[in-house]
Amino acid sequence: MSQTLILLLLAVPLVAAAVSWLARPPVVLYAVAAVAQVVVLALALTLLAQVVGGAEPHAFGHWLALDHLGGVVLLIVATVGLTSSVYSIGYLHHELTERAVRGEELRRYFALLHLFLFTMLLSALAGNLGLLWTAIAGTTIASAPLVDFYGSREPLEAAWKYIVLTTAGSMVALVGYLVLYQAGVHVLGISYDFSFSALSAVAPRLPAAAAVTAFLLVLVGFGAKAGLAPMHTWLPDAHSQAPSPICALLSGVELNCAMLGILRAFALTAPAAGAERLRLALLAFGVLSMLVAVVFLVSQQDFKRLLAYSSIEQMGLVAVGVGTGVPLAVFGAMLQMVNHAFGKSLMFFATGNLLLRFRTRAIGSVTGLVRDMPATAILLVPGVLALAGAPPFNVFVSEFAIVSGAAAAHQLAPALIVAALLVVGFLALVWPFNRMAFGAAPGGAGGHRATVNPMALLPAYLSLTVVVGLGFWVPSPLQALLSGAARTLTP
Amino acid sequence: MDLIEYALAGVVLLVTFWPLIARRIRAAVNGYSFQSWTLAALCLATFLQSGRWHLLAMALSTVVVKALLIPEVLRRQVRETVYDRRETRYYVGVPSALLLGAGLSVAGFVAARQLPLVRDLLGEPVLGVAIAVVLLGFFIAVARRDAAMQLTGLLVAENGLLLLGLVLGAGLPMLVDFALFLDVLVGAVVMGFLVARMHATVGSTDTSELTRLRG
Repeated sequence: MSQTLILLLLAVPLVAAAVSWLARPPVVLYAVAAVAQVVVLALALTLLAQVVGGAEPHAFGHWLALDHLGGVVLLIVATVGLTSSVYSIGYLHHELTERAVRGEELRRYFALLHLFLFTMLLSALAGNLGLLWTAIAGTTIASAPLVDFYGSREPLEAAWKYIVLTTAGSMVALVGYLVLYQAGVHVLGISYDFSFSALSAVAPRLPAAAAVTAFLLVLVGFGAKAGLAPMHTWLPDAHSQAPSPICALLSGVELNCAMLGILRAFALTAPAAGAERLRLALLAFGVLSMLVAVVFLVSQQDFKRLLAYSSIEQMGLVAVGVGTGVPLAVFGAMLQMVNHAFGKSLMFFATGNLLLRFRTRAIGSVTGLVRDMPATAILLVPGVLALAGAPPFNVFVSEFAIVSGAAAAHQLAPALIVAALLVVGFLALVWPFNRMAFGAAPGGAGGHRATVNPMALLPAYLSLTVVVGLGFWVPSPLQALLSGAARTLTP
Repeated sequence: MDLIEYALAGVVLLVTFWPLIARRIRAAVNGYSFQSWTLAALCLATFLQSGRWHLLAMALSTVVVKALLIPEVLRRQVRETVYDRRETRYYVGVPSALLLGAGLSVAGFVAARQLPLVRDLLGEPVLGVAIAVVLLGFFIAVARRDAAMQLTGLLVAENGLLLLGLVLGAGLPMLVDFALFLDVLVGAVVMGFLVARMHATVGSTDTSELTRLRG
């Protein structure tokens, strides 16, 4: 039963990609994008209910398997995948009517979008480290042509940096996984299936030196893909040059897939290597990422790059949360992954609408949104407050859990540094968007309200609902999922 | 039997210096293709020694994907654009590239000594070669300004990974190997596509001219 569900879940985006590649009328592309992702979400929620209920759905032995940690990522891919697909309809339809995009480019976009979603779903569902690596490396390959979608010089530059640096990073991570395989050989013999379940059963008996080496290689390699400093240099380019719905997926979802690759390695190597040493490495990369991100946030003139640097800050925070090793903070880090995915995609949706209207990413050129684009301004203001970590929104809850968890466990240094960086990051993020929303309207020519495609607003309002809702209440199945994931990271 | 394998591994390492100092993209791609043939021969030798069928499958897919298909894809996608052009500007000259390359090779062997290895088919010297080839591939990718050369560097590093997989993970399920092969093939096609697009849009494939995005 669960085997069928998993296979169906993976088949849907592949079929959708094939249909999109062949379909001519844009309406078909739109319908396929929406329907496929609704089906994926329904299947994913069914599987997640099984995981929360204590089952471990798997298929083909343990090639495909879903546990709590993968479940967190699956939830993110399925939900933000749906909102981004629907937003793609609104965004690209606007581009199509403005003749910024041709019909064949539209087909290519949607076919690649489905493939991109497939690779991310596979990352969440892989039960085997070899397959996990292939899926995570595949996310780059499927999304690089999407970063280059507009085809001019800057997107091309961004796409090239993106694919070269993250592929090189993925290769380093593969060396790490191979070292981990070799560590397993010491216990399990020459040939075994490299599944998480096989390795985690013997995790405490792996040779310690090999376990440390493996984890550090994976951390640096997939750290490059997860946007951890100092390997993050491609991220602001790729996450600002891609079409906005793709930016939402790159920032909100794909980074979490790379983080999953790191966390899987952490869970498998920590028992042998000594969790404390590995956590120190996570803390170091996490704090450095937050620091670098905050420095660039303060001086940023481009609102999409602003959001991209914020992603580096947030991924750094996730690394710090896991790095403290305090159960509450690790739980907060898991919640942070979910919250950031919704908050960041919301902001890319909202700024995407600005971009379609103003055709500029310069913060100084956009002002007076409250009067000019009220429907989008209503998204932007709570969206940026939420993303920056203001109460009562969702990101505040997870950030509070991370900082207070660390402080309560007497890890005062990380708690203080992180809290200080979060405050600076808050101001750097809220200030420019505040000006864009409430500044004087351009030219004083009132009454010229922009029309926004409802499909470009609906998914954003859905995200906003979640962002507000999760600030007040984390539903108990989600709590169970997150604390299950946190338990695998606190051996 | 070991002698043949060590000799082949030695050739794999030596051949890496071909794309390292090549000035024409055609030469670099040929070097990569030749390295892939040698790797396939090494897979075949280990198959003959151990009789494990999946090594034969690996030898065959290495020939098909890495020695024939990817070089052909590269030739096609960058033909008429950059394929036969001589790279005139580079960050590292030939003598220093050779010197640094030798240093990285030594580093590979030193690193191999640190890793506790359960010997299966191939011993520690081959592990050293594998790590050295990965490092040299990365070195080619960062020392070159031309996008097609950077791509070749990554492909060379990936050949090192295949060898590393052969030493460290010969027992890996075959499906994993094929998933990796697929990744490499599709990745090379996409990157080749970007190189061709770069030539069409920017007018050259010199990545040092890609400096519009900053801050």
